[in-house]
This record gives sequence, structure tokens and C-alpha cells, in this order.
Amino acid sequence: MSGPLLSAEAYREAVVAAIADGWRFASLHATSGEGGSAVTTLLTSPEGDTRLESADATAGAVPTIVDIAPAAGWDEREAHDLYGIRFDGHEPLRPLVEHDVPLTRFATPVHGADPYQIAVGPIHAGVIESGHFRFHVVGDLILHVDARLFYKHRGLERAAEGLALEDALPVVARSCAGCWVTNAVAYAQACEEALGLSPTPELARARTILLELERVWNTLNDIGAICAGVGLAAGTSRFAALVDDARRLNARLTGHRFLFGSVAVGGSALDLDHAAVVDARETLAQIRRESSRAWHALLFNGSFMDRMPDIGIVDAEAVHALGVVGVAARAAGVAEDVRAVSPRLSYEGFEPAGLRRPAGDVQARLEQRALELLPCLDILDRLLSLPLRPAATVAGGPEARVGVGRVESPRGATSCVVERDGGRVARIRLRTGSYANWPAVAFAAAGNLLPDFPLINKSFELCYACVDR
Amino acid sequence: MLSLLRNLRNLRRTIGLSAAERPASLALRHVDCGSCNGCEHELTLVFGPTVDLARYGLGIVASPRHADVLLVTGSVTTRMHAALLTAYEAMPEPRRVAALGDCALGDGVLGSSSEIAGRAEDVLPVDLRIPGCPPTPDAIAASLIGLIDGRAGA
Repeated sequence: MSGPLLSAEAYREAVVAAIADGWRFASLHATSGEGGSAVTTLLTSPEGDTRLESADATAGAVPTIVDIAPAAGWDEREAHDLYGIRFDGHEPLRPLVEHDVPLTRFATPVHGADPYQIAVGPIHAGVIESGHFRFHVVGDLILHVDARLFYKHRGLERAAEGLALEDALPVVARSCAGCWVTNAVAYAQACEEALGLSPTPELARARTILLELERVWNTLNDIGAICAGVGLAAGTSRFAALVDDARRLNARLTGHRFLFGSVAVGGSALDLDHAAVVDARETLAQIRRESSRAWHALLFNGSFMDRMPDIGIVDAEAVHALGVVGVAARAAGVAEDVRAVSPRLSYEGFEPAGLRRPAGDVQARLEQRALELLPCLDILDRLLSLPLRPAATVAGGPEARVGVGRVESPRGATSCVVERDGGRVARIRLRTGSYANWPAVAFAAAGNLLPDFPLINKSFELCYACVDR
Repeated sequence: MLSLLRNLRNLRRTIGLSAAERPASLALRHVDCGSCNGCEHELTLVFGPTVDLARYGLGIVASPRHADVLLVTGSVTTRMHAALLTAYEAMPEPRRVAALGDCALGDGVLGSSSEIAGRAEDVLPVDLRIPGCPPTPDAIAASLIGLIDGRAGA
């Protein structure tokens, strides 16, 4: 799956041919070292296969692929800002991570008699992560939004370079608390693929339990966030109480409310005895009952539901064009979910849930979340029917210099590419569901009214932390 | 609903926050300077129904002009450094700074040194330290109430 280092032209031809064959863009990153620079693109097939195409970038430039894979736009801008590589044909190659530039180079030019700009952030008016939005508006109508993120760029990928593979996990996973398990499992899977290790069924079960526990509290949080987005205090409070219940369960099972420290490369120390799994199933059954009641209260709240339809639309065509992933893609009728193609995890027979009305608007994303909570609880109920023992991997697969991990986070497909140098990290690229979907927030906001932006934004509920890293 | 209220009462008893009335209040302004979002998630729950810090007279305000306390989360990135100082300078005296979470205290996983300006303490005078990764809602609440009661952390 990891090919040889291609010439710049052959790289573009390989990506063009792969996309024509039905492969999808998943991630792009640059590397630089004593041997020169390279650009590597990760592609995935609908069946879950992965392949990497790498180009020699020692000359400082490679051809862009944004014309055939627009989802690579942010990746190429990041590679330019952090590794100084130019992408010929990507015009204008606007800064993304680089902040020390005039705003005119960053913002999209909007001309005309009436448009004006509204600058918001990086500090927001509540308990919200830092990021800057520049709205181009006429009255209340949003023409365009430029999201300028990376205020929280901590250089975590670079900080992990040179560390032993197992020691780098806490650094990579620290990208984001909301997606800690997802990022940790994606990283562990990438390392294990490179080391020729496969998880035992018990290890797959442990990781799947952790991933779904993370999805439970995130889903409850994200539904509550939409209530907060319209100021419905009753809904916000009910779902906040459920989030707290779910995090308390996490702490009882793993010792940490966000499940930090529960994932490792090559094995799992998670040990859940009979009493623990019984407690977990009972708590989750209670969360199911309470969340179902809270959800029905929302459905019958006319003034709440009236705000939801026909705003912030990202339809199936836009999903494909922008490379949108996760709930936002499925709410537009694109039934893609990495869980359906995850042989390293315990998702046997999993099929993505679909809406009757996959309109791709705020209402569809809200309903999709509520719909997906139930199978998520079902999976947990099934996997927690037996006590869980510490587990390991088995050796025997082919070893490689590069490994790939793919996991469905609460926000969508997350990819992790790990290039190793023996037992140490040479380069890590973590591309999270939030990273994939931020451009869709800007797309969804255009043409809507400014007061609907918080709601549109909350309907994606993306992390800044695991984009900025 | 009754069972919800009963659960709430039991939870509050477990948490051990006293309900004694306080003749004071604190307005808090939160600035995320490079966190993993864990501190924000827990801080949100501090004002949720289980801990409900608002009942002690503490609340998050939208502007540093209205704030008594600046709550700093995360290790301060080079890109948030200027924004943090701007927020601090906008606050009226007397003002306090609370470093929330191990990253703000300099004990967490930080990242590349070239991207990090430092701990909260390297940038601003810190009056209250709230350790934890992230600190639980109960711990955050107890620390902030301590600030009202004059029991500022170590």
C-alpha cells in the first residue's frame, strides 16, 4: 500500500488515476529530513483499503491535487505553511497555519457596494475554544465566512517526532479531549500496521467499547449544544446532566472521565470485571431511557424545531465535493461510516443508520445524531455482556515503514499516518473528522442569516483542538 | 422529574459542596490559550445542572470588562499570547487570574517549544491554581468558591 517515492508528475498522475478508479482523498502531509522533502497523499477505497502515493518534493514544489480532490485544500495549505512546499496550480495558496501575514492574504476578497465584515474571535463570548471568524455580510445575510483557526497550534505532531512509538501516543491523543480515544486508537492502529501486529478479538472489543463510550457522551453533548445554540435552557440542562452521567461512568470504568490513558500501542490493560460491566450496562440503559425522554421533549417543542429545517444545507453533492465526513455526510444521505469497514475493531454487521429525510440541513444533522445514539448503545450493550480482560496483539503480518489507522470519530472519519524510523516516530499526520469538516461549516453558512450561524456551527459541533494540534 | 430532582440532590450531597449562602459573587472570563478542550468541556458542566455554580453567585461573562477573574486554560500558544494579554488589559481592577488545568500550570503535555509561549504563569500573575487533567467540575467549583471565601489555592 505504501508505494515508492514518485516524481512530482508521476505522483499527480497516480492520484488522478486512483480517484478515477473510485479511491477517495483522505489525508495529505509533507515530510522533510536529511534525505530531502516529500509529500504523501493517503487514499481510501469504499471497502476500507488504504494506499499512499508519495512525491519527491526536494525541489520545493509538487503539482497540486485540489482540482481533482478539493478536500486536499487545507492539507496543502498546511504543508506549505509548516514545510515550505509549494503546490503548483493551487492558486491562491492562502495561508492556513501561518498567522504572521496580513489579513488580506488570508481572507477571501469580497467586493461590492454594501458588503461589510464582522470579525469574531479568537476569544469568544462563552466557554468556547479559540478561533477567528470573519463574516462578509450584507445586513444579516452571510455572503461568506473565512474561518481562521490554528490559534491553538501546539506543534504536537512535531513534538512526537523522535519519541518511541508507544511514548508518542499520549502526545498525539492530547490533540483533543473530545476525540481522545479515536485519535489514540487511530494512532495505535497505524503503529501496529507498521509493526505487523494484529489485535486479538479481545483487544478489538476493548477498543470498540472505549470508542463507543466516547461516542455516547459526545452525541449527548452535541445534541445539548444545539439546544444551547438557540438558548433552549431546558434542553441544554437535560443533556448536560446526561453528559455528566456518561462521564461519571467513564471514570468508574477506566479511572478517567474522558477515558485518557485507556489506549496503548500493542495491547490493552483495561480490565472490567462482572460488577463493572453490569454497572456499565445499567447506567447505559438509564442513559437510553432518559435521553429518549429528553429527545421526545425536543421533538414536541415547536419553537425549537421550527428553527432547524432548511438552514445550513450541505447536500450530497457538496458532501462529495468537499470531502465531508461523519454525521454531516450521513445527514445528507451519504451513508459512509468507517465502522462498516473496520476489521481491526468489533463492528461485525454494522451498517450506517440513515434518515428518511436526509436533507443535509441543521435538522437532519440533529436527527442523525439522535438516530445514531441508539445503535451506539446497542453495540455497547452487546460488547459489555461479558467481563473484559487485558488483551494484546499478535505478530505475523508484514512490517512496513509506514502504517495507517482509520477510525470513525463522533465527528467523522479520522486518519492517522505514522512513518517510523525503527521503533521511533519519524512523522505523524493526524487528520481528524473536524479537520475534514471545517470547510463545510463555511460552505453551509453562506446564504444564511447571521443569527443562524451559531446554530449552523453547533450542528457540526467541530473541535478546534484536534484541527489545530 | 421528581426522580431527576432527587438524583440531583443526592449528587450534590456526594459532591460535598456546601449550600451556605455567600455575600459575594465573581464574574469569570474564560480564555482558551491552547487547551485540548477537556477543561472547556468540564468548565461547561460546572454551570450545568449537577454542580450549578451559578447558585453561589459565580457566572461566566461575555466580556473581560465585566470580569473579576480570568480563567486561563491550556499552555499559552504563541498565537494566543497577544489575545490573552489584550483580554487581561481590558479587565478592571481588582482582577485575578486563575490557571485552570495541568497544561496552564505547565504540567501537561505541551507540544513543540517553538509554538508555546509558556505556562499561564509565564505570561500573567497567577492567583489561583486549579490542577487536574482536566480538573473535574467538582474540583473547579470548589476552587472557585475558595476564591470567594479567601482560600485561594497554593
